[in-house]
Amino acid sequence: MNKTLSQETLKQMVSRWLPPHQVPRRFRIHTDTTNFVQVEYDDVVILSDRHYLIRHNAKEQRFGLDDEVKFWVKRAIDLEDGSLKIMKLVFYERFMSRIGDIEFERFRSPKKEARILDLVSGHKNFMHGYSIKDEKGNLIRILDFIKGKSLAVHIENMVMDHEAYYHERFPEILDHFFECVQSIRFLHENGERHGDLRRDHILIDRETGDYRWIDFDFNYKHRENIYGFDLFGLGNILVFLAGMGDVLLPDLKREAHPCLNTLSDADLNIIFNHRVVNLKKVYPYISEPLNRTLMHFSKDANWFYENTVQLLDDLEEVKNDH
Amino acid sequence: MIEEEKIFNKNILIAVDESENARRAVSYVGQLLGDVPGFKVTILHVVPEPEADYFPTSTQKEEWLTQYILKMDALLEDYRQLLINKGFDPKDVAVHSMLRYCPSMAACILSERDKTGSSTIVVGRQGLSRSEEFLFGSISSKVVNHARNCTVWVVE
Repeated sequence: MNKTLSQETLKQMVSRWLPPHQVPRRFRIHTDTTNFVQVEYDDVVILSDRHYLIRHNAKEQRFGLDDEVKFWVKRAIDLEDGSLKIMKLVFYERFMSRIGDIEFERFRSPKKEARILDLVSGHKNFMHGYSIKDEKGNLIRILDFIKGKSLAVHIENMVMDHEAYYHERFPEILDHFFECVQSIRFLHENGERHGDLRRDHILIDRETGDYRWIDFDFNYKHRENIYGFDLFGLGNILVFLAGMGDVLLPDLKREAHPCLNTLSDADLNIIFNHRVVNLKKVYPYISEPLNRTLMHFSKDANWFYENTVQLLDDLEEVKNDH
Repeated sequence: MIEEEKIFNKNILIAVDESENARRAVSYVGQLLGDVPGFKVTILHVVPEPEADYFPTSTQKEEWLTQYILKMDALLEDYRQLLINKGFDPKDVAVHSMLRYCPSMAACILSERDKTGSSTIVVGRQGLSRSEEFLFGSISSKVVNHARNCTVWVVE
């Protein structure tokens, strides 16, 4: 049973964490978050006697598209200790996703995210948090806010030529990425998938420098290889890191890049036909072991990774070669 | 030294689902062996335990499962009849449907093969593109790669 505090007490609690001009005059209180759209800025959500002041809805930006507001994901302040949290309310969705010409079913699962939060508690390469039910049984996830940029932004903001990047920055980035793959192995070994492995789902923790996976609520209806889609996600990130961004065929054509004379269909991503995977043809100084690993994600691949252990074995060789 | 001849039994395990390629696999066995005495066929269907995450509530999961099993039972009977119509004696055609947690369908099929000891597994080819196989894997490829002590027929 939630304990409802008076408006005055709530004001006092909020005053501890916000400057006076930001303290609301009245609070709408929610103990049932089923209708998450109604949970708005300056409202208070009470979960098991803990009070959270709601701030903005979360937004997600990708590939230059407009920010997508996620109404079920709120920033919040834990009024007991003033910490900033991400509050994920319950939102079920199932939809057909398309990657290249392949369609498959994806869905969100609060249960999955809650389970993984328990599993990765204390693991440095994952976001942390806990789950808690509201009075209607909605499984809400309360996540620690990670200060730091996404890996995607980190790479895209680099201003240097590729060769300097490859020799000076990439080895350290690869070490971090290796840890990220190890942490996905940890999930897989525990029967869990991440379900949405993307370069903007790794945050670089500003305080520790650790790379940390976020967002575990997506899942997909798997077929034979339960972890295949996760492995594809890891491959895409690796190619992105090795290339200091996506190396796109249209860009190379625009630049009339000399590599176009030797590039063929086989050098492209097995799913995304405009992304170059055979980066050695673009950047000849890239090591053989790295390029061999990248080529497992190309149209020319004659053998696909079935698990993270295989990928880690190859990455180990890449690291040793650097 | 002459190696001792390996003995193969005449038990055939056809692994099916609701796809057209599964029906082709059943039909192939019917056409090939329907009139040949001595063969016994087991039509195997593994119902993959639906992931709890897929359904918001366990009631929804149970409802889905009940409907699915009903649908598959009818389909399995249809496959059985298909073999009988091709000449198999009804007593030589068994249907085995089971609910299992199945992260890999190929592994489930192979483990059933190990239990039955059938010398032959028959599966239909899904006809996946390379990219689909890359992303999601192929049951028939995995069965072929991992099968031991038996022969695998992949029906196109």
